[in-house]
Amino acid sequence: MITGSQKPINEIIKLVEPYKKVLILGCGTCVKTCFAGGEDEVAVLASALRLSFKQMAKSIDIEELTIERQCENEFIQEASPGIARNEAILSLACGAGVQAMAKRFAKEVVLPGVNTTFIGIQESPGIFTEECSGCGNCSLAIFGGVCPVTRCAKKLLNGPCGGSQNGVCEIDPDTPCAWHLIIERLTTLGQLDNLKTYIPPKNWNTSLSGGPRKLIREDHII
Amino acid sequence: MKPLSRLHEKLSQGKFAITGECGPPRGSNKDVIDNKITLLNGFVDAVNVTDNQTAIVRMSSIAAAAHVVAAGLEPVMQMVVRDRNRIAIQSDIMGAYSLGIKNILCLSGDHQKFGSQPDAMNVFDIDSVNLIRTVRDMRNTGKDMSGFDLDVAPQMFIGAAANPFADPFDYRVIRLAKKIDAGADFIQTQCIYNMDRFKEWIRRANDEGLTEKVYILGGVTPLRSAGMARYMNKKVAGMDVPDEIIKRMDGVDKQYQADEGIKICLETIETLKELTGVHGVHIMAIEWEAVVEQLVTQAGLK
Amino acid sequence: MEIHNTPKLTLFHCINSFEETPSMFDNCQVKTVKMACASMTKDIHLLRAFEAGSDAVLVLVCPDKGCRYAQGSIRAKKRVDYVKTILDDIGMDGRRLSIFNTTAKDSRAITDIIQKTLVALETIGPNPALNHLN
Repeated sequence: MITGSQKPINEIIKLVEPYKKVLILGCGTCVKTCFAGGEDEVAVLASALRLSFKQMAKSIDIEELTIERQCENEFIQEASPGIARNEAILSLACGAGVQAMAKRFAKEVVLPGVNTTFIGIQESPGIFTEECSGCGNCSLAIFGGVCPVTRCAKKLLNGPCGGSQNGVCEIDPDTPCAWHLIIERLTTLGQLDNLKTYIPPKNWNTSLSGGPRKLIREDHII
Repeated sequence: MKPLSRLHEKLSQGKFAITGECGPPRGSNKDVIDNKITLLNGFVDAVNVTDNQTAIVRMSSIAAAAHVVAAGLEPVMQMVVRDRNRIAIQSDIMGAYSLGIKNILCLSGDHQKFGSQPDAMNVFDIDSVNLIRTVRDMRNTGKDMSGFDLDVAPQMFIGAAANPFADPFDYRVIRLAKKIDAGADFIQTQCIYNMDRFKEWIRRANDEGLTEKVYILGGVTPLRSAGMARYMNKKVAGMDVPDEIIKRMDGVDKQYQADEGIKICLETIETLKELTGVHGVHIMAIEWEAVVEQLVTQAGLK
Repeated sequence: MEIHNTPKLTLFHCINSFEETPSMFDNCQVKTVKMACASMTKDIHLLRAFEAGSDAVLVLVCPDKGCRYAQGSIRAKKRVDYVKTILDDIGMDGRRLSIFNTTAKDSRAITDIIQKTLVALETIGPNPALNHLN
C-alpha cells in the first residue's frame, strides 16, 4: 500500500484558513489502513479544526466525506455534490489521490492534508515499513525477496557496506541491514551463490530518473 | 605490467608499503594540506586524500590530491559514490588523472545522515564494486561506461576498502573476492584493533588465494585516549575496539594514554609485518599527522 | 450561547471503574458516558465532548492488569495521550483531558479525582472553544 501520515494540524489550519466552507475528503483504501486519511481520521481532523477555529472566533463550515479511492474516477464521482457545496477540498489521500482530484475538478482548490511517505507494509500493528521504491525493474528474485534498492540506505547491489554490524544499518540501530536480511534469506533458501553474482550498474531509466513514467495497456484503450 | 604509480611499484617489488592519510580542510585553505604533507613526506609511500569523509563538507579530494601531487608526495584519491552519479564519477576520474593523480580508492561513502548536511539527497547511482569496475574498464579497455573510446584513458592503480569487522563476517571474504574480480589492485582495511578477527579474515582470504591477487594494507589508527577508544567503538560505523584495548588504555594515567596508544599501534604493525597475505600498513592518524614519523621510525619501517 | 460558570465535565468510564455516589459531582455538571470496556475509548468521542462544551474530560479505566479484556486500559491510555497532543497543538491545553485507573468501589478516590480536576481547571481555565459565538 501507499503509506502516509497526516500533516501537522497547524500546517492544515494555515491551508484551510482562507476558506469558509471546506470539504475534508478521506480516502478509504491505503491511507485508511495507515491511519492517515480514512473516515476516522476525517472525523478527528474535522473536530480538531472546528475546536481550533472556534477559539479564533472564525466561522468555518466543515463537511466530512470519505470515498473508496480518490485515485479512481469511478469513485471520485461520488464526491461531486460535496465539492460543489464547498470552497476548498482538503484531501486526505496520497499525492496521487490529491492530483487525481485536482485533475477531475480543474476549477476547485484541492489541498493536501497528508504527507505521502512510501510504498510499504504494516509490519506489526502501528508500525509501517518501506519495502519498494517502484524502480520499474524488479530484481527481488536474486536478492531472496528483500529489496536492496529500497532497504539498503546506500542502494548497494553487490553486498553490504562496511557499516553493517550485528545485523543493523549504520544509519540507525532500529534499521535492519537489508544485506544482512538478504544473506539470511539466501542461506535459508540454499541460494548463497547468488551473492557471488556480479550485479552491473542499475538502469535507472525505468525509475523516476527517466522522467515521469506512464503505463500503457493498449488492450484497455478504447 | 608497468607500475602505474610509485605505490604500485613498491608493492610489486614485494616491499612493505606505508600509506598515510590527509583529510582536506573545511574551507579553501591550501596551507592545511601543505602542513600535513610536510609532516608525512618521507615517511609514507602515498597519502590517502579523503572525500568528504563522514559526509562533512570539505575541500574536494581531487583538488586536495592535486595539491599533494604538487608538493611532491603521491596521493591516493578517495572517491565515494554517495555524491556523484556515473557521469560525474567518470568525468572526475579523467580530470583527476590529468592532474597527475595515479591512485584511487573506491568507496561507498558514509551515509550523509551523520554528516554536516543530513538534509542532502544522496546519489548512490552505482555502488563501490561498480566504481572499481568502471576505473578498471577505463584503464584496460580505454573506453568509458558507454563504450566510447577515450582520448587518453586514465591509468590508475585501483584500491578498495575492506572491513573485516563488519557483519555478516562469513560474507566479508566473498565481498573481498567480488572487489578483486571487479578490478581492485590493492585493499586498505578498516582500523585493526581486534587482531584475532583480522587474523581469521586474512586466513580465509589466504585460503581462497585472494591475497595473491591483491595487495592488502592493514589499517591502523593510534589511539590518543581511552575516551577516543570508547567513542570509536560506539560511534564510528563498522569499528570494533575490543574491551581489552579499552581496559588497557584505561589502565594508564591520562597523560600517558597517548603513549600507550602508540605502543598498541606499534604492536599491531609488528604483527601485520609478520602476517602472510599482508603487504603493507595504512596509517590513519586522524588530525595527528605528527605521530606518523614516530610510528614509522619505531616500527623499523624507515 | 452563554458562558457557563459551573465547570462542565464529561466522564467516560468502563463499567467496572465507576459508580456514582451522592455528592460526588458537587460544584460541577457532569455527563457520564458508560463503556463496556476502556478499549472503547475513541479519539473522536473525546474531541466531541470538548465540542459539546466540556471544560475537562476524564476517562476512568480499570488498573492495567485488571482489564477483563487484557489490554483495554493500556489502549485507552495511548489514545488519551494521542488526543492530548492534538489538544496541545490546537491551543486547547492537553491537561483538560486525563485518564485514571480506578475501581467502581473506590468512590473516595473518584471524588478526589473530580475535585482535583476542578482545582486544576481554575488554572487551565474554561473551554476556550466556547468563549466565542459560532
